[in-house]
Parts: sequence; C-alpha cells; structure tokens
Amino acid sequence: MATDNAPFVRLAGIRKSFGAVQALAGVDLSIPAGRMVSVVGHNGAGKSTLMQVLAGTLAADGGEIRIGGVERRAGYDVHAAQALGIRCVFQELSLCPNLSVVENTRVVHPGLGGFGWRRRCRALIVEALEAIFPGHGIDPDRTAGELAIGQRQMVETARAFTEAGTKVRLVILDEPTASLDADAASHLLRFTGAARAKGIALVFISHRLPEILGHADEVVVMRDGEVAGGGAARDFTEERLVELMGVVREAASEGGRAEASVGALRVEEAGTAGGRLPLRLHAGEIVGLGGLAGHGQRAVLQAVFAAAHGREGHWRVRGSVAYVSGDRQSEGIFPLWSVGLNTTVSRLRALAHAGIISLWSERTLAEEWRRRLEIRTPGIDRPISSLSGGNQQKVLLARALASAADTILFDDPLRGVDVGTKRELYRHVAEAARAGKAFLWHTTENIELENCDRIYVFHRGTITDEIPRAELSEERLIRASFATGMSGATGMSGAPGMSGAR
Amino acid sequence: MRRTIRPQGWIVGAALAAALLLPGARAEAGAASTASDGIALSNSYAGNGWRQQMLKMWNLAAQHGIAIGAIAKTKVVNSDNSAPQQATQISDLTLQGWKAIVIDAASPTALNGVIQQACSAHIVVVVFDSLATAPCAYKVAYDYVEMGEIEADYVAKHLGDKGTVLEVRGIAGTSVDNDIHQGIVQAFAKYPGIKLVGSVHGNWTQSIAQKEVAGILPTLPKVDAVVTQGGDGYGTFQAFKTADRPTPLIIMGNRQDELALWKQLAGGPGGYPTMSLSSAPGVSSIAFWVAQQVLAGVTVPKTVHVPLLIIRANDLDAWLKAVPPGGVSTPLYGQKWTEDLIAANLGHSALPQSPIPTGVP
Amino acid sequence: MLAEIRLPPASPRVLLPAAALAAMLVLIFAMEPRAMSYFGLTLLLNFALPAVFAATAQMAVIAAGDIDLGLGPFISLVNCLAATWLTTRPAAGIVALALLVAAYAAIGALIHLRRLPSIVVTLGASFVWLGLALLVLPTPGGSAPAWLTTLLAVHPPGVPLPVLVSILVGLIGWLLLMRTSYGTVLRGIGGNPRAVARAGWSLLGGRVALYAAAGILGVLAGLALTGLNTAGDATVGTQYTLVSIAAVIVGGGEFVGGIVSPAGAVIGAWIMLLTGSLLSFLDISTDWQLSVQGGILILVLGLRALEQWRAA
Repeated sequence: MATDNAPFVRLAGIRKSFGAVQALAGVDLSIPAGRMVSVVGHNGAGKSTLMQVLAGTLAADGGEIRIGGVERRAGYDVHAAQALGIRCVFQELSLCPNLSVVENTRVVHPGLGGFGWRRRCRALIVEALEAIFPGHGIDPDRTAGELAIGQRQMVETARAFTEAGTKVRLVILDEPTASLDADAASHLLRFTGAARAKGIALVFISHRLPEILGHADEVVVMRDGEVAGGGAARDFTEERLVELMGVVREAASEGGRAEASVGALRVEEAGTAGGRLPLRLHAGEIVGLGGLAGHGQRAVLQAVFAAAHGREGHWRVRGSVAYVSGDRQSEGIFPLWSVGLNTTVSRLRALAHAGIISLWSERTLAEEWRRRLEIRTPGIDRPISSLSGGNQQKVLLARALASAADTILFDDPLRGVDVGTKRELYRHVAEAARAGKAFLWHTTENIELENCDRIYVFHRGTITDEIPRAELSEERLIRASFATGMSGATGMSGAPGMSGAR
Repeated sequence: MRRTIRPQGWIVGAALAAALLLPGARAEAGAASTASDGIALSNSYAGNGWRQQMLKMWNLAAQHGIAIGAIAKTKVVNSDNSAPQQATQISDLTLQGWKAIVIDAASPTALNGVIQQACSAHIVVVVFDSLATAPCAYKVAYDYVEMGEIEADYVAKHLGDKGTVLEVRGIAGTSVDNDIHQGIVQAFAKYPGIKLVGSVHGNWTQSIAQKEVAGILPTLPKVDAVVTQGGDGYGTFQAFKTADRPTPLIIMGNRQDELALWKQLAGGPGGYPTMSLSSAPGVSSIAFWVAQQVLAGVTVPKTVHVPLLIIRANDLDAWLKAVPPGGVSTPLYGQKWTEDLIAANLGHSALPQSPIPTGVP
Repeated sequence: MLAEIRLPPASPRVLLPAAALAAMLVLIFAMEPRAMSYFGLTLLLNFALPAVFAATAQMAVIAAGDIDLGLGPFISLVNCLAATWLTTRPAAGIVALALLVAAYAAIGALIHLRRLPSIVVTLGASFVWLGLALLVLPTPGGSAPAWLTTLLAVHPPGVPLPVLVSILVGLIGWLLLMRTSYGTVLRGIGGNPRAVARAGWSLLGGRVALYAAAGILGVLAGLALTGLNTAGDATVGTQYTLVSIAAVIVGGGEFVGGIVSPAGAVIGAWIMLLTGSLLSFLDISTDWQLSVQGGILILVLGLRALEQWRAA
C-alpha cells in the first residue's frame, strides 16, 4: 500500500444529483482500516447514495475517491470496487431467490469457477456463517427463496465476508440487523469486533441508535446530502445524534393549511394489537404516515385498501377508497393508453349509462382535470408514455381525485416529482380535503408532512407517535422515527406509544 | 392369419409385438380373408363441412364392412392440422397393430418418415384426398388436371369458342389448386376465342369467393363464364347479383347451396345450363375398400385414379334430394364398385362413373 | 468426491411431473403391452426427439425470464433448410444454420439492449422465420440428407434412440445449467438480475448465451424433425411453440424468476407427447387431445398456486 497511515477510504467533496434533486452536496468521509464507521441520517439524507458511490454501483458527479491511498478516477465501478476488496450488503436483499445458498455465494465470486466450485463455495459460506452466526441452522443447499427473511439476511451478510482471491477490506452493512432477531443481531455485532481485529474496515448503517453508539468507532451524521457532524462514537449521545440529524428547517410549504374541519370517521383500526397508537382518519382530514421508509407505512395503506374491498378484517373502512402509488411504472399507469383514458379509468362506472361509456362525458372529465392539474400534454389523446415522469404522476393523481373515492391513499406518490409540480399538487390535495375527501399519506420526504393535519410516526411496524401539525418538529419526528427516549428504545418488539407526547 | 384381439398379459404382448414388427412375419397370401383385420383412419383436420362429410362416409363404409364381415374393427383419429401430431398418431396406430392405416395427410412430405416406418412393420398404408408422397403408400387420387380440362372444355363449347372467363381458384400454393389451374390453362389454349380476363383465390369458401369476386368485378368487362373449384359457386353468384351484373355461366361444385342455386336458376326463363364437378368426400369410402382389397391380397396399383363427381342437369334432382341443406353431396362407394375401379385402373380402361344416390346416405 | 455429484435436494417441482410420467407409462403399458418392447418404445417416443429439443430450447429462454413465441416457425425453417440446402449444398446449409444460431443470440442482445418485451420481439421473429421458410421451400418437398435419416433410424443396443437422447439431453442440460458455475449465474439472472449485475456479471452476455443455447437446441429440434419426416414443410413446426412452453411449465418451470429445470423440461415434453398416445390407447377421441393437454397445464398451475397459497 502506498501509505500505511492513510485511511483505507477517503472521499472528498463527493457530489451527486438526480435531475434537479441534489442527493449529495459535497460529502467528505474517511474510513480507516480496522475501524467501524456508522453513518446515520433521516430519509433522503443521502446515506444510500453515498454508499452506492462507494460500492461503485453509482458514479459520482464530482469529488475525489481515494482507496488504499490511491486516487481512483473515472472508471471506478463495481468491478474496480470488488477488486479492491469492497463489499456491500444492500438494504434490499440481493440474493437470487431461485439459487441455493451455495450458488448465491458463487455469484459474487467471479473468480471461483472451474471444477469443484461447489465444494469450495460451500466451504466458504459455511465457514462464514459459523463465524458470524454460530448455530445459524441454515442448510446451504436450500434455495434462498425458501429461507426466512432473517436467514436470508444472515446469508447475505456472511457472503460479504467470504474471501476468494481478493481479500475483504471494507464491508458496507446497510441496516444489517433490520430483519435479524435479537440473538442474531448481537452475534453480528460481536463479529464486527473480530472483523475489525483482522483489519477490515466497516460502514454500519442502522436506525437503532443504541447499536451505533454501543459498537461503532466513529459516527458520521448526514443531513440534506451533507455531513452535519461526526466524531468518535463515545463522544455522542442519542440526544446529540437526533439534534444533528434534524436541525429545524424553515418550512418550505406555503404556511401549511388552515385548521381542518373534521367530518365523519372514515378509517379506523378495529382493535389495536400490542398497545400501539390507534390510527384514525376522518372525512376532510389529511393524515400523514411518517418515519423511516419501510417501517410499516405501506402495509397499513395496503391493509386499508384491502379492507375497503372486503379482504381484510383488521380495519373498518367507510366509503370507497383509491390508491395512488409512487411506483407508477409497475403499479400505476396503463402504459399503452392515452392520457385521457388513464385519467378517467377510475370513473368509468359513473360515466357509463346502461353499461355504455359516454365518450363525450369521458372526454369532458379528462379535459377538465388536465386543465385543473395543468398536465403538460399537447392533447389528452397522446399516449401517457409521452409525458414526463412528473406529469405522469399528475395523471395518476388526477385519476384518484377524479374518482368518486371518499378516501385516497397516497403511497409516496410524489417521489421524483419536481418542486414546482409538488406545490401545485399540494394545493389540489388541500382543496379536495376541504371538499370532504380524506387522505392517508405516506411520504418519505419529511417536508411533505407539513401538509398534513396529523402525522403518525412509524417505527418497526408500530406507531410510536401521533403529532398534530401545530406540534410538528423535525426533532420530534426523528426522535419517534428512531424510537429514542422511550422504554425499550431499540424497539425489539412493539414499542409502547409515547404517553407523554400529548 | 393372426387375430388382432388384445392379448392378455405382457409376455404374450411382447412376443406378439416382436413377431408383428419383425420383417417377413406376415404371411404372403393370395385372396385371403380380412374378416379379423382392422383398418384405421388418420385424418389431419376435421374442421370443415367437407371433412365432416368425409368422416361420415368413412364410418358408413366401415360399419358396412364390419356388418358383412369384411373387417373386424375401425378407428378414427383426427389431428389439428399439425403434421408432428398426426405423425405421432400414426406411430401409435402402428404400435397398436392395425393391419391397415388410411391417411388424409396434413403435409405431403412431413409424414413420409412414419409412413415408411408403418410400411416396414408390414402395415398397409393408403393415402387419399390430401396425399403424402411416401413411395410405399397406396394413393387414391383424383386427377385434378383433368378436372380443369373438363370445366374448360364445357365452358368453351357452351360459349362457342368466343367469350371472356373469370377463374376462381382455391388456396394458393396447394397442389390441388395448381393442378386444376394447369388443366384450365391447358384446355383453353385449344380455344383461341376464349379469354381468361381475371383470377382470384376464393379458397373453396363461399364467403371468401364472394368477397374476392366482388373486389375484381368493377375492373372487368362483361364476364361470360366463371370456372371454379367447388365450394365457391354460390359466393360467386352472390357477388354478380350484388354488383347488378348479368349472371354468367358458373361451373358449380357439390355443396348443397350450389346445387340448390343451380336448380333455382334452371327453373327461371331460358333455363340455366351448367355442370357440377368436384372431389367427393365419399372418396374416404373408396380408400377404405382399397385398403381392404390390398389386405385381401388383391393386386392393386400404387396409384388408384378416382373419377371426379360430375353432376349433369338431368341428375340434378336426384343429387339434390340426397344432400341435406348445408351439406356436401357425395356418393357412398361400395366394395364392388371399388373392385371395378381397381380393375379399370389395372386395365387402363374407362373408370366407372360415380353411382347416383337413391336417398340421403 | 461423492458430495460433488450428489443430486440436488429432491424438489416436488420435478418429482411431481416425474411421478405423473411414470403413471402415464404404466397405464400405456397396461393398455398396450406391445409398447413395452424396444421397438414399441421407439415407435411410441419417435417424436420425443424434436419435442425434447424444443422444450429445452424454450427452457433456456424462460430461464432468462423471457418467452419465445417464434420457436415453432424457427423449427420449420430449420426443417426446410435441412431438407434443401443441407442436402444439395451442405456447406451453404451448415453456414445458414450457424447464422440462424447467431440470429437467436442477436435477438437476445436486442431484447436486452433495447429493453423490449421478448414476447413482442419473438412474435415478430416468428413471421420472419415463416417467411424465410416459405422462401426456401414454397411448397412441401425436398428430402433430408441421407446421413440424417440414417442417424435418426439408428438402433442403439439396449435403449431405444429417443429414450437415450432424451436422457442425454436432460443430463447434459442439468450439468451445464445446474452444475457449472456459469450456468448458476445464468439462472441467477432470471432470479435477481440486479444482484447478478451488482456482482459484476454482464447481463447482456448472459442473455446472449441463453438465447444462443436456445438457437442451438432449436436447430437440433429442426434437424431431428427433418430426420424423422425425411422431407421439408414450412408449417410443420408451428405447434412446437406452445407445446414447448407447456412442457417447461408442466416440468416444474415458472414463467418468471429463473426457476427452470432441464430434466423437468424433458419430462414435460414426454408428458405432452404421451398424452395423445394415452388417449388413443384408452380409445378416447383425439378431438379431446388439445383440451386434455390444456387441462393438464391448468391443473399443474392450479396445484402450484394452491401450494404457494398454503405456504403463505
């Protein structure tokens, strides 16, 4: 190595933008060999983007990447990162479900082919599993799809530590304990010590602040694509981390909206399990579902939607329900249909007379919504695929607003939509709420929660806080998202609600 | 002769199979009894009226054959116009030990392998209608070139060697269509006064013929006659009628609607002279009896020519009576008639004419 | 070393069709004892060869999460080429067949690079194959090369040719796709393409490899069919498109997720082939054959859905 005392990884001034959104605005990060650095931050702070840049799956727009003391210029990609011994355990599981554990090990080791590869892979993965999760009970010949989610997480973690050819020098662990039980999680945390002793550098991303403070050597706090602070883990407290993650920002929404006139109850949980805060939604209300992404908000939306169609007994839903997904390609649009048809498809029954759709009223409706939402298209007969992403999302929103639904479920519908469009859409949502529609709005962008009358904050599948808009603060939101300052703070099981909050 | 009863127990079966499939096992017999033999039909397609009628005629012939003790059993398998599927079915029939397999083929070439295999197992293979080219198979064949020639001669004589003719053809690319067309062109070459002014593909289907003829009519001068291939005469008439053009002489096929139309036109002022000629679905009964004759040891030429079904004006009523509305008229050919046919083929003498039916078969 | 060649954990995906096939064979042998002899099996399974090659070709495409609607016409085209050029101008014939394999690989590349749905591209290709076949051989005819017909009529000692080749195809396919390390990566592409790409593998290379394999197997199917038929016909292969898809699914494969099995595809091809024979021996009208084949497919998918529903 060029210089032994230099950190293994040194990133300087890393920048990355997605369209108009700046995900990383000049980030510096050093990771010394044999140390564990923890990166914390709320949704959209830039952690995942930074890790993808480091792992070579995403090219930075600018900045300097030095690994092993050597500047890595253009052409730094997955191959280069792997050749340098950088491994990544991504948050979304990246095993092939149709391959066995042994075969999945082979996929990440391009150099491991040839006769007898199966035996070598088996030895590698079994050894790593034994070292990290003693008594794991995983049959390496089972296909990944047959394993429980926790077991898959174990395999994926163990796989990152297997060595064939190149030595492992840095492992990025993105929420590695999220689906592990307490026992396996503590095994893993113990193993990180052994790995560090062998000189392996670790990046540890977690939403469990006590885990971070208890095991990491250093902490880096990110906010809005920048590093907000950092230092030795022992110098931090949970309070200090939360403070750094969410310094109060000036509100970007136009002063929020006036007090909601609350109407009849639309959605209600029928008997809540495990002492979690009950979720309620009334007509004319906009209720936000906040917290870190993937902590149960979507499950609630889907359960409510299913309940409205009589397929789920846990929720009581009155009136009809529409669903708007942010994943428009797979859940939202009819890609071959026109803008107009995509708008009115939710309303066809109302437009039909004796089973025959009135084409004229259909056009009128589509034109009206095109005007109201200012959907930028030369005509409603153009295919929806000719629109920009933001405008497609407007069509989806128009569809929900045009439908006769009493309750509209938002599953992060404005992801990747530009700020100007967002403002317009917020206004339409507020208008629809005044007209009596109820909204259940899951968003991963905290700033959007300012458009809600009340916010339920989710952590590990339960609601940890209910915040009226007047009391909404970044700090309280983050505190509830990370479930700090509550009994059983790491939230191994359903954390009790914050009784003192109201 | 060995009997084709289903053997009990697999040892007997295996021995039988070995004997059956070994070359030379079948006795060379002269005029032998076929009373215990079975003849199977492998049909490539059953999805139109002609084929349905063909299957009906097969069953009538086979039932008759069983009743008089000529054969013991029969079986019909249909494929979905798929050559590999039909080939598999023929393999199965070979395996089941049928003495003769009669085939209306899905492809002239694609069945040759299995047909050869069946022949090697000393099974009599007879192909008819849609033929296969395997040399070992007996072919029961219409002379479609002759059909074209007869039509053209009739038209030319009737018009007095002067006039314009429209040709309605069958499905493009089939050998039947090519042969009939060739016959027509050959025959008209003898009559310099006759002009072929147009040609469309009616695909032996009334609706398609009507559409195609209606499409070409505006481009044509006065049409004196239309030569057809059967199944297209009624549609052709409708096209002329819709276009408000005078009805020309249309050669008819053997569909009931064509004969009924002929009858109706003939009843009008001045009558309506024409003729009907076609391939008859009853050819399956000829193929059945040919197979039986071969089994019985009779000398049969590899190709047995079959006379076309020709209906003249004076027989029209008898034929019309014998065909239900929507049906296809056909005689049912018998064992005796087939014996005469084989003899005529061997002696290169005139073929016997199709029997006129005496009632609905 | 024993651990090296140990069979994969017996999965119900392949065991179920294998048991169904065994039951069918027992029934056929009971109904028609002649079928149990060497020549009986040869006759019964004559057309297993093209079906088995077609099913494994389709399996290669389905392994990539795609589907090939052009396979049947492709087999027809090979049949026409083999019955004409390969007989009269062997060098040109071999070059043409090699080009066809290259064309398949190119289709795989096109689907990957342009992110086109395979169902559309292969459907389009099917018309190209049909057109080319009609150009090569406008009306049925031609004749198979003598070596090909001889090869297909070979009687290996002990085991009938179709049985021997089916077992070999299943075994080689299993070795290549299930046992080699690259085969594992190829299946991984069907299971989780992002993960495979992230591990540094070329998805383009993988898809091209799978499509090229499909092309080679498609050519083998066409050659086998030519050897059996002894002549060419531009429409002869049409039914292999759907039969091959059905064979893969009946044999335990899935349309998505890279869940396929070469042994399963071979077994599926036999099941689809023997359905007709079984009906024939049971004296059930062949008009039912398509319905029964379709019924088997729906039954298999239904049982599988039930199993997943239970597991969930």
